[in-house]
Amino acid sequence: MSIDPEEIVDGRRIVVCVGSGGVGKTTISASLALGGARRGRRVLVLTIDPAKRLGDALGVRSLGNAPRAIPRKVLDGLGVPPEGRLSAMMLDMKRTFDDLVERFAEDEVVRNRILENPIYQHASDALAGSAEYSAMEKVFELSEREDFDLIVLDTPPSQHALDFLEAPQRLLEFLDSRLVHLLLHPAFAAGRFGFRLFQRSAHQVLKALERVSGVSFLEDISEFLLAFEGMSEGFRERAGQVQALLFGPETAFVLAAGPADESVAHATAFLDRLEESGAAVAGIVMNRLRTWPAAEVKLPDKSRREEATASLAQALAEENETQGGALRAAQAALSVLDSYASMVQQDRVATSPLRERARRKGYFWRPVPELPRDVHDLDGLARIASFVFEAGGEEGAVGG
Amino acid sequence: MSRVTRGGMALADSARSLLDPRLLIVTGKGGTGKTTVVAALALAAAKRGRRVLVVETGREEYVPRLLAPNPEPVGYKGREIRPGLWAMRVDPYQALAEYLGLQLRMQALVSRMMRYKGFHQLMDASPGWRELITLGKVWHLKQQRTEEGEPRYDLLLVDAPATGHGLTFLDVPRVVVSALRAGPLRRHAGWVEEMLRDPATTLLVPVALAEELPARETVELVKRVREGIGVPIGRVVINAVVERPFPEELPDLDEQLARIPEDRALSGLPPAPVIASCASHLRSRYELNQRYVEEIAHASGLPTLTLPYLPGGIHSPDDLEVLAELLAGPANGAVA
Repeated sequence: MSIDPEEIVDGRRIVVCVGSGGVGKTTISASLALGGARRGRRVLVLTIDPAKRLGDALGVRSLGNAPRAIPRKVLDGLGVPPEGRLSAMMLDMKRTFDDLVERFAEDEVVRNRILENPIYQHASDALAGSAEYSAMEKVFELSEREDFDLIVLDTPPSQHALDFLEAPQRLLEFLDSRLVHLLLHPAFAAGRFGFRLFQRSAHQVLKALERVSGVSFLEDISEFLLAFEGMSEGFRERAGQVQALLFGPETAFVLAAGPADESVAHATAFLDRLEESGAAVAGIVMNRLRTWPAAEVKLPDKSRREEATASLAQALAEENETQGGALRAAQAALSVLDSYASMVQQDRVATSPLRERARRKGYFWRPVPELPRDVHDLDGLARIASFVFEAGGEEGAVGG
Repeated sequence: MSRVTRGGMALADSARSLLDPRLLIVTGKGGTGKTTVVAALALAAAKRGRRVLVVETGREEYVPRLLAPNPEPVGYKGREIRPGLWAMRVDPYQALAEYLGLQLRMQALVSRMMRYKGFHQLMDASPGWRELITLGKVWHLKQQRTEEGEPRYDLLLVDAPATGHGLTFLDVPRVVVSALRAGPLRRHAGWVEEMLRDPATTLLVPVALAEELPARETVELVKRVREGIGVPIGRVVINAVVERPFPEELPDLDEQLARIPEDRALSGLPPAPVIASCASHLRSRYELNQRYVEEIAHASGLPTLTLPYLPGGIHSPDDLEVLAELLAGPANGAVA
C-alpha cells in the first residue's frame, strides 16, 4: 500500500520535511508547498534558514516571524489555480520561544524573571530541544488558524530526527521531574512526596552536583525553574497538544535525502529512528540524483569505441569550424560520457538500499535530478515540484 | 578579546601542515564530507607514524566504517582499528559518569546518580553540558601518558557536530566560564577553553563544498570564530571540487556538440543533444564550483585546500589515500 505526494498535500494538514543538513531540505519543503498550491490548496511553508537567494525569492528574508503571501501575479505564472495560495515564513526560533513565555507567564513579574534570567538568556536556544520545540509550536499555533489548509515545515538542521520528535515529550518529562520539584522546593518537598528513600537519592544527587558545579550555578537554575513553574500548567497542556498533533493522523513526514554516501548513511539512520518513534513516514525525496538526460543511454563497448569516436568527429566537423581538431573533440566528448556514466552508476548504487526500503515499506520514492545550476528562484522550485509530483522516468516508475 | 589576528595567524598556519597540531577539530555543514576528511586525515597521520585517535561526537559511528571493513562498534572505550589509529565515540553520559567519578571519588554514588531517572530528566533538559563534557574528555585524553611518559596519542582528531551546532560546541567553555562565579566546573571549563585557544596545540579545520549554502556558512563560521570564539583556524578544506570536464583548448565542447542535428546518426552513441546536455551539465557544475572556490578564498581571507571530487565514490581506505596525501600537503597559495 503506497501513498504518493499528491495524496499527502491533498489530504493532510501538516507535512514535516525531515533529513540531515545539506541535502536541500528547504528547497524540497518549498517545492512540496508549491505542489500543494498548484493543486488548489492554501499552503504555508515554514522555513528555518533558506539560502539567501531562495529566501529572497520567497520573500521571507526581510520580514520577521509572520507569514508572507506570494503575490497572485507570480502564482499565475507558476500554474497555481485561483483557489490556490502560497505563503512563506522564516521562523525566528528564539522569538517563538519568548512569545511562548510571554503567553503563559502568570504575570509580568514572572515573565521578566524568566526572560532576564542568565540561564534562559544563555541557553534558551538549547533548552530541552527548544529550537525543535519552537518550530513545532509555531506549526501548532498556525494550524489553529483558518487561513491555511496545509502547512509544510522545513525542520531545523538538527543532526538527529529524535531531537525533533522528542522535544515536546522531553519538555513534559522535565517539567514533571521530581528532581526539578526538589530544586524548586527543597524544604517542603519531603512532605509532598512519600518516598523517603527516593528523596534521599535526589538530595544526594543535588549535593554531589553542587560540589562539582559550584553553588551559584544551581541557584541560577533553581531560580529559572521556579519562574518557569508559574507557567508550567499552561505550558504543559500546550506541549501535550503539540505532541498529539505531531503524531496524529493529520501529519505526514517526508524524508529529504541526497545521493552522497555520507548523506545516504545519515538518511538511513534518520529513517530508523523515525520508524521507531511511530511517526507517519510517507515517502522519500532523493534530491540531486545524477541521471541521464534521456531515458535510456547505452555507451559503445571497447571494440566499437574507435568507430563511434570517428563518427562523432565527422559530425562535429560538419557543424563546426574545427580546423582538424574534431577527432580530439570527439575523444573529449567520449570521456565526458564516461565520467557521466560513472556518476550515474555511483548514485544508483549508493541510493539503491534506500530505494529498496521505500519499496518494501510502501513509501513513495521521488528522485529529483541534479540540475546544472542551483535552485534559487520560483521557476527553479516549479521545476523541482514537477519532479516531486510526477513520478516519471526510469527511476520514478519503479518506486511510484 | 580574541588572540587571533587576521593576517599573521593565517600566514603562520598556512605554512604548517594540517598534521602538525596535537588537536584537530574538523567542522562543516552536513553533507560536506566532513567525516571523509576526518578519516583521510587520520590515515595520513597514521601513515607518517603518528599515533592518532579519532573522536566522534554524534550518536552514530561513521569513521570506522570508512577505515576498516565491517568494523565492530568502537564505543566509548575506543579501539585500535588500524595500526597506530584508534577510534572512539564520546557518549556524553559515559563521559559525565567518568568525570563525576574522578571528581567525587565515590563510584557507588555516581552509579546511583546514573541510574536515577530524575537525574537523566534534569540532564536531558539542561543545555550545554554535552558539548562541555565532550570537550572535557578530549582535554583529558590529551593529558594521557604512556608508561614511558610519552603522550598516549600524538594527534587527536575530533569530528565536531555540523556547523550550527559546531559553533555552540566550541563556544560552550567560554560561556560556562563567564556564567559561573566559582567552583571546580568553572576551573575545568577554563582549562578546556585555554586548550581550544592555544595556537601551539589546536587547529580548527572547516570543511566546505563549493556551492552557495555551504560556502556562505563556512564564511560565517570563520568570521564568528575570529570575532569571538578564538580557536586558531588556518585553512579551509573545500571538498569534492569537480575537475575540468574537457581540455582547456576545447572550452566550448558542449556548444560544438549542440550544433549537431538531433537526427544525425552516430555510430553506437546516444543522439548528439544527449551528449551535448551531459557535457553542458558537467561544465556548469565545474564553473559553479570554481566560482565558489574563489568566493570562499576571497571572503574568508584564508588559504584553501581543495580536494577533488572522486567519480567512483569512496568505498575503501584505498580511495581515501588520494585525499590523505592532498590533505598532508600545502594549501593553495601557501608557502610550502
